[in-house]
Amino acid sequence: MLLKLALRNIIGNGWRSLINVFIIALVLTGLIWMEAMWFSWLRLAKTQQQEWEFAGGILRAKSYDPYDVFSWERAYAPIPLAAQAYIADGGIVPVLISPSVIYPSGRMMNAMVKGIPHSQDLLKLPSADLQSTAGDPIPAIIGTAMAKSAKLEAGDIFTLRVKDSAGAFNAIDLQIARVMDCPVPSLDIGTVWIDLAALQELKQIPGTATTLALRNASLSAVSSSDFKEIPAKEFFADLDQMVKTKASGQSLLFLMLILLAMLAVFDTQALAIFKRRKEIGMLTALGMTKRQIIRLFTMEGALYMAGASMLTAILGFPLFYYFGAKGFSLPAGTEGFGVAGFNEPIKFSYPAPLIVSTLIILFLLTVLVSWLPARKIARMSPTAALKGK
Amino acid sequence: MNKLAAIVLLALCLGLGAALPDASAILRAVDANLTSSSAKSSTRMVIHGKRSSRTVGSINWSQGSQKFFTEYTAPPREKGTKMLKVGSNLWIYSPGTDRTIQISGNMLKQSVMGSDLSYEDFMEETSLAEDYSSTVEGETVYDGRACWILNLTAKKPGKAYYKCKLYVDKTRSVILYELLYAKSGKLLKSVQYSDVARIGTRWYPRYILFKDELKDGRGTEYFVESIAFDISIPPGTFTKASLKK
Repeated sequence: MLLKLALRNIIGNGWRSLINVFIIALVLTGLIWMEAMWFSWLRLAKTQQQEWEFAGGILRAKSYDPYDVFSWERAYAPIPLAAQAYIADGGIVPVLISPSVIYPSGRMMNAMVKGIPHSQDLLKLPSADLQSTAGDPIPAIIGTAMAKSAKLEAGDIFTLRVKDSAGAFNAIDLQIARVMDCPVPSLDIGTVWIDLAALQELKQIPGTATTLALRNASLSAVSSSDFKEIPAKEFFADLDQMVKTKASGQSLLFLMLILLAMLAVFDTQALAIFKRRKEIGMLTALGMTKRQIIRLFTMEGALYMAGASMLTAILGFPLFYYFGAKGFSLPAGTEGFGVAGFNEPIKFSYPAPLIVSTLIILFLLTVLVSWLPARKIARMSPTAALKGK
Repeated sequence: MNKLAAIVLLALCLGLGAALPDASAILRAVDANLTSSSAKSSTRMVIHGKRSSRTVGSINWSQGSQKFFTEYTAPPREKGTKMLKVGSNLWIYSPGTDRTIQISGNMLKQSVMGSDLSYEDFMEETSLAEDYSSTVEGETVYDGRACWILNLTAKKPGKAYYKCKLYVDKTRSVILYELLYAKSGKLLKSVQYSDVARIGTRWYPRYILFKDELKDGRGTEYFVESIAFDISIPPGTFTKASLKK
């Protein structure tokens, strides 16, 4: 009976109810859209980093601390003997890094040179282009961001200078074999890729590597005391943290929208209680308990939410479908932010827990703001209510 | 006939060998000119950029080959900036921020005030005779002076420049031209010395032109306006505390 009464009241409210439902639906659509964007971006960024850098797991030389620039000059260790067979069959990819200076078009630039076997196919990096031909300059690959900052194009020749393991300068000419579209900025910005053997020779450190990318985590058994396994949680911690920070920044905006929507519901309910005093008195006189009347008003609020959920499903569906199918392209220039997942449209996915949790949060909030003004009813005297006082 | 040719060739080789002096003796003489127990100099560095040039003035103190202290006096923006090198450590003090930072790792590769010199060049210790094995390639006339051409190869693997070629003034034992190579044989830097003057008992170049051969530009000119050798330097000059004084 309460439900019927509540429904009748909502319909009776006319435009006011429709506006409330519409506002809640709008906020709900925005919330789901935003949550789906962060979720899908994080998923895409992780997938890309996995395909280009992490593979199934990673072993890192203990002497290498990515956060300590002073460690980079000596960031290598002998490749474990047990890993050799897997390297040969492509199950493990060694990568060597070294700080360097490059001289594109007579300018001087600091860069990180990274060596990777040209024959590898575990990581998506197009390393096949790094195979050198005798007599020609050593081929190098750079990403589009690096090409832009160094003003380099495919075919350009420039000099690379590094310090070898003993500290002596060594320099060679490199030729850009390819400018790749790399979705992981840390593999692009300020980075030059050459063949692993060439870098090992340049640094005079044959048989060494900084990291070992593994086809699957079980291959971490090949590790030696010079390497340590980096768990996926640790590897992606920065990305998780960044998305969390950015998402919480955006949440502030949506928190304000939710507040506005809730204010609208609260206002409607408060006004209704004031305007419907006679009705409340009548209901009490007919035998309804105050608790039942409070429940009636709270239910009206919950019905707003139910209506908004249906409206979201109807109005939001084309929007959700569009972003799921076509994806969300970030504005030009954002690839320089230094985070993966920015170079291709983010195709949204809407996992059920995400939608359900958003619905529950908004539902509870709507019920709460409907219940808050309804508490006043408990303090009303039925006779005064009947008189409309 | 073959025997005769061999004898002539041997005689030629011996003759040539006799004409060329001992390369390490030349290097020792060069070291004697360049190194001192202590020195104080006033210098001016003219850095030529693509669009303009700027002059950096400094007063420098040194003790042996391990300790250097430089205070920049010009331009106004750099005035008060100090640099201290003790062994393999290098610190820079910036008066603008009142901070001292240690230059290390990748930062050593950066250019000093936009010049053709990197901090790594400052870290180099110079005792040519000790650090390099050398051979005399021949002789030539450079900048109007008769010179020996010396080829140097680092004795220790850690020397920044593995190979060098020097043009050394025959009579004054001063380097007039220096070419610095990478291990691969690629020319990295060239240094020209001129305006050689007699300072006390030694010959010393008062004009040096550094040129990073991998970079475009006219290089960096270095003028030694005054220099005094074997002087007494106040104690505490080569300490981090002196950077903030």
